Amino acid sequence: MSRSRIRPRTLAQRTLLYVLLIIVAAVPLFPLYWLVISAFKTPAEFVSIPPTWFPTSPTLDQVESALTDVPFAQSMLNSVIIAGGATISVLVTSILAGYVFAKYHFRGKNLMFWSIVATMFLPPIVTLVPLYYLISSMGLSDSYIGVLLPWLANAFGIFLMRQFIMDVPDELIEAARMDGASEFRIVWQFVVPLIKPAVVTLAVFMFVFSWNNFLWPLTILRTEAMYPVVLTLNRLMSYTMSFDYQNVVIAGALIASLPTLIVFLISQRVFVQGIASSGVKG
Amino acid sequence: MNVTSTPTVGGSVRSLPRPRRRRTDRAHRGITAAIFLSPTLLVIGLFTVVPMIMTIVISFHRWSMFTPITDMDFVGFDNYARLLNDSARVQAIANTGVYVLLSVLITVPLAFLIAMLLYFPRLRGRNVVRVILFATYVIPTIAIVIIWSNIYAPGYGPLSAMVQAIGLTPPGWLSDPQWALLSLVIFNVWQMLGYYVILLVAGLTQIPEELYEAAKVDGAGIVRQTWSITLPMLSGSLVFVVLMTIINSIQVFDPIYLLTQGGPAGSTNVVSFEIQRSAFQYGQAGDASALAVSLFMLIVLVGVVLNAILKVRKR
Repeated sequence: MSRSRIRPRTLAQRTLLYVLLIIVAAVPLFPLYWLVISAFKTPAEFVSIPPTWFPTSPTLDQVESALTDVPFAQSMLNSVIIAGGATISVLVTSILAGYVFAKYHFRGKNLMFWSIVATMFLPPIVTLVPLYYLISSMGLSDSYIGVLLPWLANAFGIFLMRQFIMDVPDELIEAARMDGASEFRIVWQFVVPLIKPAVVTLAVFMFVFSWNNFLWPLTILRTEAMYPVVLTLNRLMSYTMSFDYQNVVIAGALIASLPTLIVFLISQRVFVQGIASSGVKG
Repeated sequence: MNVTSTPTVGGSVRSLPRPRRRRTDRAHRGITAAIFLSPTLLVIGLFTVVPMIMTIVISFHRWSMFTPITDMDFVGFDNYARLLNDSARVQAIANTGVYVLLSVLITVPLAFLIAMLLYFPRLRGRNVVRVILFATYVIPTIAIVIIWSNIYAPGYGPLSAMVQAIGLTPPGWLSDPQWALLSLVIFNVWQMLGYYVILLVAGLTQIPEELYEAAKVDGAGIVRQTWSITLPMLSGSLVFVVLMTIINSIQVFDPIYLLTQGGPAGSTNVVSFEIQRSAFQYGQAGDASALAVSLFMLIVLVGVVLNAILKVRKR
């Protein structure tokens, strides 16, 4: 009610604001709408000039073609393994490290913490060459472990967990210790339930990030059977540049985007809030 | 902690065997801390810190990636000198600068205005719009590349159709050296905008309501309120958004690799693409590392400058 001061008074003002809001929504929505309709167009309709704004004779041929021309199902599974593995690992390492940085006191703690946070701003491209060399010389290139290893822990996760665990009352942890609970049990039974929204946020963030990560798998994987879906899509893209194949690629893009979109939409209430507070706290 | 500091029972607690138990607890907790931290320190140490040091070392050597690392030769600052004399690499740095600058100049004001629109007038449906805006952020870049390469397509692409509909001649978005980099910036803004809007809306919620009430009593209009209250109070979030925009756009790789391969005529060649190409296509790990170190130094410089701005603002 205190915000009523800015509530537009005239109908004209209200209308203008709603028109702006619709534009703000339409700009991100249009390409997504276009992705969906193009996936169900026939190749001939897809390249027609001027473009049609709704498929006149919808077909599933392109989707089927995308799924069968390349090992799409296998690469979706690979993406689940890679993104799922990285997510679980980052959750575990970040919660444990975040707990130590939030609740323990030891010399050099802050220096150690901020040094880790600094790595958040280091683009992966800067260390790509030696990282490739290291993983290859460990004999892990072209393996799931090689894809996963550099992403098993990260600074953003530790930062996020530490910020939220700092808000967990010390008294609660102290009381659990009095009851003889081990530190490990304290973390899982008392701390994690209290910071659930932050844990969900980190999980979704890491899943999306790993699902979409392109540069590292491109660098380290050779065997197509291990390709995550983004690399398979790349192969599909370079398969042929012919126009009548373009919307098979689009159908592939639609399928590859669904898992992260679904995960995001299911968790959006908690996730958007979590990302927002990561900025406020940071 | 609470028990020992309670004055009435303080003495008796101290006489109990508790202190000894606490000391072993502390030792035990030291071990716990080491156990809890070790996976993180191992991963970040081995796969971030060590490679960072190696990048710096390699940048002073000549090393073909197709030969063992033990074969590399020390060449001092040669790689850096060559970098400055190589027009393709200089252009890559310049393009990256333009790309970052345009991204910041478009993204930050736009995100600020949209955040204001989504926060202040309590419009119906604003939460749905927030989710829609953020949705573009979670889609794989390659999928977005595929969408946009077709939206930009000449002839059957919808963007050209729209531009023609208002009576203009559409440019060759990705094929015209004048337009290609800007087209990639538009693509980047479209993908990332929702994330920054969310961060700024969160910043707006932190501004105390009373400030606006007081300003209103003083007769300040919406422009004055924005200028004197919103912008200064939001400066922390704004600097953070500027930093994130710079960090994200300075390392742009996927769309360049997938869409333009640096072309046409080198107009979209950027530092990360040049690093990847030098190292993995030409095998010139020394040159690639010199470029990588330069990129790293640029990011450090950005961090220092933004930090200084934030400190001056606070004074």
